[in-house]
Amino acid sequence: MNAPNAKILIIDDDRELGEMLAEFLAPDHLDVSACLSGEDGLQALRDGSYELLILDIMLPGMNGLDVLKEVRKGSDIPVIMLTARGEDVDRILGLEFGADDYLAKPFNPRELLARIKAIMRRTRSNERREGSVSVGTLEIDVRSRRVVAGGQSIRLTGTEFELLRCLAESPGEIVSKEQLARDVLGRRHMPYDRSIDTHISNVRRKLSDAGVDNPSIRSQRGVGYLLLVDEHGS
Amino acid sequence: MRSLLLRIFVAFWSIILITIAVAAAIGHSYAERTRIALQNFEVGDAVLEASAALQENGREGLTDWLRNLPGPAEKLFYVVDDKGKDLLGRRLPEIVRISLRRFGDRESRPKRAQRDQPNLRPARPFTQLIGPDEREYTVFVVPPHSVRAKWLADRGLGGLIVLALIVSAVASFILAQTLSRPIRQLRSSANAIAEGRLDTRVAEGVGKRRDELGLLAADFDRMADELQSAWQKQTELTRNVSHELRSPLARLRVALELARRKTGDLAELDRIDLETERLNELIGQILEYSRLDVDSAERLSNIDLGELLHSVVDDVRFEHGYPDSGVNIEFDSEDSCTINGFPGALRSCFENVLRNAVQHGRNGGDVRVRLGIESSQAIVAVEDQGGGVPEQELAKIFEPFYRLGSKQGPARQSGLGLAIASRAATLNGGTIRASNHANGLRVEIRLPLAT
Repeated sequence: MNAPNAKILIIDDDRELGEMLAEFLAPDHLDVSACLSGEDGLQALRDGSYELLILDIMLPGMNGLDVLKEVRKGSDIPVIMLTARGEDVDRILGLEFGADDYLAKPFNPRELLARIKAIMRRTRSNERREGSVSVGTLEIDVRSRRVVAGGQSIRLTGTEFELLRCLAESPGEIVSKEQLARDVLGRRHMPYDRSIDTHISNVRRKLSDAGVDNPSIRSQRGVGYLLLVDEHGS
Repeated sequence: MRSLLLRIFVAFWSIILITIAVAAAIGHSYAERTRIALQNFEVGDAVLEASAALQENGREGLTDWLRNLPGPAEKLFYVVDDKGKDLLGRRLPEIVRISLRRFGDRESRPKRAQRDQPNLRPARPFTQLIGPDEREYTVFVVPPHSVRAKWLADRGLGGLIVLALIVSAVASFILAQTLSRPIRQLRSSANAIAEGRLDTRVAEGVGKRRDELGLLAADFDRMADELQSAWQKQTELTRNVSHELRSPLARLRVALELARRKTGDLAELDRIDLETERLNELIGQILEYSRLDVDSAERLSNIDLGELLHSVVDDVRFEHGYPDSGVNIEFDSEDSCTINGFPGALRSCFENVLRNAVQHGRNGGDVRVRLGIESSQAIVAVEDQGGGVPEQELAKIFEPFYRLGSKQGPARQSGLGLAIASRAATLNGGTIRASNHANGLRVEIRLPLAT
């Protein structure tokens, strides 16, 4: 894989960790810059052209979730957040505010590398993807990454969009969590990992907020999810 | 007599009853003395003396005589002048007023009656004296019974006793209640604190009493404040220490990977990796444990227990390499049941119990998970085949870092799993209990069903 170097920004107040990660990721053509505070990080994001952001939720001063909200106001840049292990609230809020994936700190750096690669692979392949899918009252435009229902655009994060697209490719069929994890998050589904469920519940909420009840996302206990389309429905 | 309420009540009541009895005895002896004095006192003689006093010194003499009557007799004699006033200015008893009204004084006496039947005169139960000034003085001897005493006497001794008993019992009960109620409130608050609800206070319930009990309540609340803040500080310290440990741990793991790149895979590096992971796991558990105690940021919601257990069972199966290898976890759910609780804490509870069962039952065999309903409680039972736990240690396995007896050797488990489960169950209003069954340990979690 001889892709051009990708620029990655890390916002973490642990300077040494940032330096070591830069060293660790460099052989994989990842060009890492580090910022120690949220304010600096936002400034750096405005100035440079980064392809991915690694964001620590626990930052002194401006909180990581606030940084994420600020980032999402004007950018679709993929975000991996670093949460404290077991702080479910951080994880759920982070995914809700538009993070693409999360890792509990302290993480295995190889796992971080795998997730960075998965997300970059996805965003790069999406740029080549074309066409649109129509299910029920939903119109999913893959190229512009827009979901429209009744003329109204529904705002989804990158991961949420991918989940919906993945389910919409085979409406009425159960897609296992394993497959969703592989296709959408680019990794194996792990025990105790609720990120697919959290993303799905975010998509569900956004659909129902927009008044969409056809199609609806159903869960099949212990197996996976399916997009149910009522052909005779409204 | 254990209850303070009962003790105070009985004490006050008996004091009141004794007081009544003493008062009755004193009253009785006084009445007896009056009776004896009156027996020795000749009413006729007295009237003669009054007449003599009147003749000698007129109205003044009669007044002096009345004033100088011996003790008990003084209260029996009333001398009323022709204006219907007592010479000593006393208020006339009811019976005297009735007599006066019936017979009137000379001027207003019905003349008609005299005219019609001149030979008849109304009976006069009292003596009339004529003074030197030709004025008429009526001497009344009032029998020693008042109207109220008559009312009481009509009801008899039994009625009186019953009345005294009721009144004194009610008074004693109210008194005992005001003393014992705040104490009971203090007690229930102390229990609440012992059960871990450190935000319990009593001053509200006891009210704004200024007495010793009010002060005690204030002191109690101050103690609870101190306890709560000490506990919070300790929990915060634990959390902060654990959080702070994560930063070096995170750097350690990156450094480890960098080392691996430079030197290739070494068994020692794998070992460091494993131990780092264990340390990480342990810190995670400590954090989880301490978080379950402080006010959970989770929101209460309705949880389908069957669904939650299914997903936990799936996770644990998956973790142990199912279906290719690992233990067999069997899951029966007879009923569908919903409870209202904290989903994260509840998941953590089941996860830890189940992982513990799998860990200890590994060489023993299967794990059974059962969900049932019994009298408005959901019961989740997890049984392993791991040989069980000595009876005397059953309750202790829910204590943090408790390690089973000697034969177990250095346990690989951190020993926080079941402590987390226990706390999570309590946080959800439930209970957790361990018992031995045929081949292993049975952990039973009971949770109140949503209403």
